[in-house]
Amino acid sequence: MVVYSKPGGIATFNIADGFVEALVRGLRLGFLKDMDYRAIHQCETLADVRLNLQETDYGNFLAEVNQVSPSIVREKALEKLVSEFEYLRASADQPLAQFLDYITYDYMIDNVMLILKATLNNPNTNIVELVKQAHPLGQFEDSVLKSICAFENSPKGYAELYQSVLIDTPIGKYFARFLQEESTRSAHGASEVQSLLEEMPTTKLENMLRKLYLEDFAAFCEELGGETAEIMVDIIKSRADAAAINITLNSFGTPLNDDNLRSTERKPLYPSLGYLYPEGIEKLALVSDEAALASILRTYSVYQTIFERHQRGDKTIDDAFYEREVEINELAF
Amino acid sequence: MVGTNLTQVLCDSDFCNTGWPTILTHLSPFGWASMGIAFTLSLSIVGAAWGIFVTGSSIMGAAIKAPRIRSKNLVSVIFCEATAIYGVIMAIILMGKMEDPPASDKIEVYEWTTAYFAGYALFTAGIGVGLTNLASGVSVGIAGSSCALADAQNGSLFVKILIVEIFASALGIFGIIVGIIQSNMAAFPTPP
Repeated sequence: MVVYSKPGGIATFNIADGFVEALVRGLRLGFLKDMDYRAIHQCETLADVRLNLQETDYGNFLAEVNQVSPSIVREKALEKLVSEFEYLRASADQPLAQFLDYITYDYMIDNVMLILKATLNNPNTNIVELVKQAHPLGQFEDSVLKSICAFENSPKGYAELYQSVLIDTPIGKYFARFLQEESTRSAHGASEVQSLLEEMPTTKLENMLRKLYLEDFAAFCEELGGETAEIMVDIIKSRADAAAINITLNSFGTPLNDDNLRSTERKPLYPSLGYLYPEGIEKLALVSDEAALASILRTYSVYQTIFERHQRGDKTIDDAFYEREVEINELAF
Repeated sequence: MVGTNLTQVLCDSDFCNTGWPTILTHLSPFGWASMGIAFTLSLSIVGAAWGIFVTGSSIMGAAIKAPRIRSKNLVSVIFCEATAIYGVIMAIILMGKMEDPPASDKIEVYEWTTAYFAGYALFTAGIGVGLTNLASGVSVGIAGSSCALADAQNGSLFVKILIVEIFASALGIFGIIVGIIQSNMAAFPTPP
């Protein structure tokens, strides 16, 4: 385990991080305010929106395009975000640089899963189109993404994919742990390795990758200590709980909900951190319908309010979790 | 062993130490004075440098998104530099009080008590000024960094936070005033 130097106290913080801190404060000032949102609200067309955004930090990002459309707006906004993030990352010292890298691993997992799913569903998908859709914060080399499309969905296929392509990427270690755990689990005698892995849905792979990533990130923040540990661990735990609740909800209609499969198949999918861990996870592993889920969540008031919103139907549960995440991320500033 | 005096028990020669007080009396006063000069200069410079890097990095970062703060906030850097100047002034004053040591055949007729007084006075004046400037420099630096960040957010805050910095640099002035008065009385006798 690499030992990172802790971020300094009040007199020494600026040695490594003073510049980036001042830059981040400046970038935060550039967020659109209430006034800007109201002005955008009153616009009729996208060209109007562009006019209204001239005063703000977003004044120039639509400068070159003639034809404004939602996809172009999204693309340019992402470009702006990515260029600012790259600048931050370039000026950052360790351990801040490693922290920013952890943020990109999330998007890397997204991109890898996107390409895997697309390839499995339709082996003839246009690779170049897919690569364009990938989130730019999770960039790989071009060759990596293209070779993912070439592998097959079989146990040997996964192992080959890992060996040839993913092993060099930072998320390679999550993939390796996933392969290890799969082989130990099937060695405990459910069935042969081949058939188990062949039925592996990509959602399982995604869950495992995310779970491992969250645990890794939480360990890193704990090492850094101080306020980073407090605030980041809070955020990561909320993410993990959201993932756990989502897994439970999504599994209600599927074979994973059977009594005998619950403890062997569903339980390992839950992350081993979060406010729901360990007692909540034990209980979550046994529920079979939404009413039981609601009764368990009653002891955790935050998740109860979110779940009630979902049950009433006025917000999807993803939206509600996303709102909560935005709130705690704001507090982290 | 017979004998209650510790030195008789441990050692009988003329060159033995008699204990801890020898540290004070057997170090040459010229050594004490020179150390004082070194400390005043180096500790003040450490304080000033520390303050400058703390405030400088914040000014650079904040000026990317708010370029108007560039010139005003250099005042913080000037305050930090002032503590270094106090250190240099004090070092020059202290060096002015130094004299040559006596020649080897004139050692008995030299006025050692005056010399010891001068040595101790210069040393403590130097340490005093050095440490106060170190504290003042660090404090001005941290206040200056916050001043830059606050000014970038809201321009009216600059003058208010500048008052905090003025108080912080006043600490350095206290140090140099006491140091000058203390070293005033010190004077190495001219070598016979």
